[in-house]
Amino acid sequence: MSASSDRGIWRVFRQEVRQIASRRALFVLLVPYPLLLLFVLTATFHQEVPTGLPVAVVDQDGSTMSRQIVRMIDETPDLAVVAKLPDLSEARKALVSNEVYGIVMIPPEMERDLLASKRPEIVVFHNSQMLTVGGIVARAAGAALGSFAAGVSIELRESQGQTAEEAEAGVNPIPVRQSPLFNPALDYTQFLLASSMPSVLQIFICASAVLAISRERRDRGGMARFVADGGCAWRALIGKLAPYGMIYLVMLWGADAIVFGYFGAPFRGDPVLYLLCSLLFVSACLSLGAFLGLVSESPLIGLGYAGILTAPAFGFVGISFPRMAMNGFALAWGAALPLTPYLQLRIDQAVRGADAAMSLPALGWLVALWGLYGGLALLLVRRQARPHEISAGELSG
Amino acid sequence: MTVLFRAMWTAFRRLLADKAARATMLLSIILYSGIYPQPYVSEVVRDVPVAVVDQDGSSASRDLIRRIDATDSVAVVAALPTLPDAQALFFAREVSGGVVIPPDFERELLDGNPSPIAVYGDAGYFLIYSAISTAVSSAAGDLGAEVQYERLTAAGVDPGVAMAMVSPVAISSIALFNPQGGYASYVVPAAFVLILQQTLLMGIGVLHAGRRADRWIDAIAAPLVYILLYGLWIAVTQILLPFAYGIERLGSWEQLYALAIPFLLAVTALGFVMAQLAPSREAMVFTLVVMGVPLFFISGISWPVESMPKPLWAIAALIPSTTAITAFVRVDQMGSGLAAVSGTIVWQLVLAAGYTLAALLLRARGRPLRACPPEVRSR
Repeated sequence: MSASSDRGIWRVFRQEVRQIASRRALFVLLVPYPLLLLFVLTATFHQEVPTGLPVAVVDQDGSTMSRQIVRMIDETPDLAVVAKLPDLSEARKALVSNEVYGIVMIPPEMERDLLASKRPEIVVFHNSQMLTVGGIVARAAGAALGSFAAGVSIELRESQGQTAEEAEAGVNPIPVRQSPLFNPALDYTQFLLASSMPSVLQIFICASAVLAISRERRDRGGMARFVADGGCAWRALIGKLAPYGMIYLVMLWGADAIVFGYFGAPFRGDPVLYLLCSLLFVSACLSLGAFLGLVSESPLIGLGYAGILTAPAFGFVGISFPRMAMNGFALAWGAALPLTPYLQLRIDQAVRGADAAMSLPALGWLVALWGLYGGLALLLVRRQARPHEISAGELSG
Repeated sequence: MTVLFRAMWTAFRRLLADKAARATMLLSIILYSGIYPQPYVSEVVRDVPVAVVDQDGSSASRDLIRRIDATDSVAVVAALPTLPDAQALFFAREVSGGVVIPPDFERELLDGNPSPIAVYGDAGYFLIYSAISTAVSSAAGDLGAEVQYERLTAAGVDPGVAMAMVSPVAISSIALFNPQGGYASYVVPAAFVLILQQTLLMGIGVLHAGRRADRWIDAIAAPLVYILLYGLWIAVTQILLPFAYGIERLGSWEQLYALAIPFLLAVTALGFVMAQLAPSREAMVFTLVVMGVPLFFISGISWPVESMPKPLWAIAALIPSTTAITAFVRVDQMGSGLAAVSGTIVWQLVLAAGYTLAALLLRARGRPLRACPPEVRSR
């Protein structure tokens, strides 16, 4: 350590890059592996909207009309009639075997009852244990039956002397114009893929920072040497974590490039603000990981903490199940993770194109998490670099 | 036999002596049992806040708003004069959606003309959007049907015929299993299958990755101990936990274990294969900790298997959870019986046999990577 020019951020940064490059296993975990997982997620949701979901029909009527109903259900793009079964118990067997996600049950004498104005009942059974798929099946089958009923209703009205126009209006007196904002096709890539990729990356970032920091704590005096290399604690930390920050920033942007580029969702936000938010997110996650690495006595324990905090994070962010329906504990847990404000900011500043002012609370929240975890990490590095406290720090963990 | 029991006791003590293994295979499951279900304990979304823009101000429009507000899923929290006002509240995240009732809504409705309304919501949040959309559609449908029925009967149509004209067939939608459409009931039982798999694999990684091979008797005893321990965790997470969170169970415990034991065999064997391939304990834990979310989606519980690329799913099926998650849910939550999951049971046994063979071959090849730390070696 001769010249001061040989210290500082740059020195620690170069050392870290050399470490990554020289350890093949570490490199594989940092670069090809996250790419593989992002690819797996993208491939999983590649179809964007589920189509041709298998359903069974139990047609106990066997009339012209019931066959028409079956045809209309089969023609719905969301559904495919894969089985025509004689009774409900057979259909139920197919449902619990996951061969079908729903059952359409047409009762005997349906056509006759319908013509006699007796309002026969058609039942759609859907598997609500598979909530999303069951919901799609119920909605799609309901819509197909609804248009069948509308057709019948129009014929009935016309037979009662109404004009075609009157009949048309009478069938649907209050049409509801649906505006699914920012995701008009109800596309799952915009919903699950776009939010699950940052969730996976949050785990990667925290776990990488844990491993990086733990390496300096392996031997006595390691932390003092580390701080000396950096010139001071914060320079050392930045130099150490910057290589990971760069890798994961590119991955995070790559993930959004898949959503906005490959799947063609319109990017409505302010690019500068978006880049700032992603930089803050990665920094906050690195700080959290560093903090966890510094409080745990071994890299394995640190990885364990990171896993318990971040692995279930996707459930707490409020995309799949909204935060407004969560209890206080879940809200607080989610609030402690950088992912929660980041995904809110990402939606504001990439998807919705909201006014920057609207995003200030979430931005402040993310900055506060970064400051909190970064500040704690800095304090711990300083303390553990003091020669007389190294052993005490190691013991107390 | 006593030799085996002694070896098992040693393996169990070794697990308890290693802090990281204890944290992974004991503490984390208790923690996850408390933490993981928390977001979903309310099960369903109620009273999603929406704003209304009532440009008509008639008794019919007020009736419609009252009906929307009366639904379980939506609450009308703001009445605003213009659409931009509603948009401002939406972007500030104070409301999740809006309903616009145009001028002349009532007149058009009573004249028998189509009288449309508009509903807005962020479709990036599926549950919220579907709550709003369903509530508004059903309120509008009910009001429209009533107005129609009154018009027809007032014109002298027989009430029964009028009813049939408005709605010629009754369409019922019945949820089989999880009847209230609860989110915890849907996600918690499935997620814990994955949590058990991941923590078991990690625990094996912590205790065995990068370690010199044990004596033969230890190589049999250790997996047995983990399977017994996780057999206990199966009862905790698949029987006790659903009970604690009010999640319905239709399957019997015998059926549960008929599936769980092959699953645990497959996971344990996979764990030993991974442990012998992993360059270090840290690398194995790192690999596993980031895998959860993709593995959950690929299991088909939330996104249909039919919509995934076949080759991807076929490769993923080499991981036990891919086929096991829905099988557990079918047996436990849907009461499917064992016949409906026999294919999965056989597949788990095939995986168990395949991975056991692979682990034995790798072991025979022998690859001492790192000496055991002394504290683990001591008995």
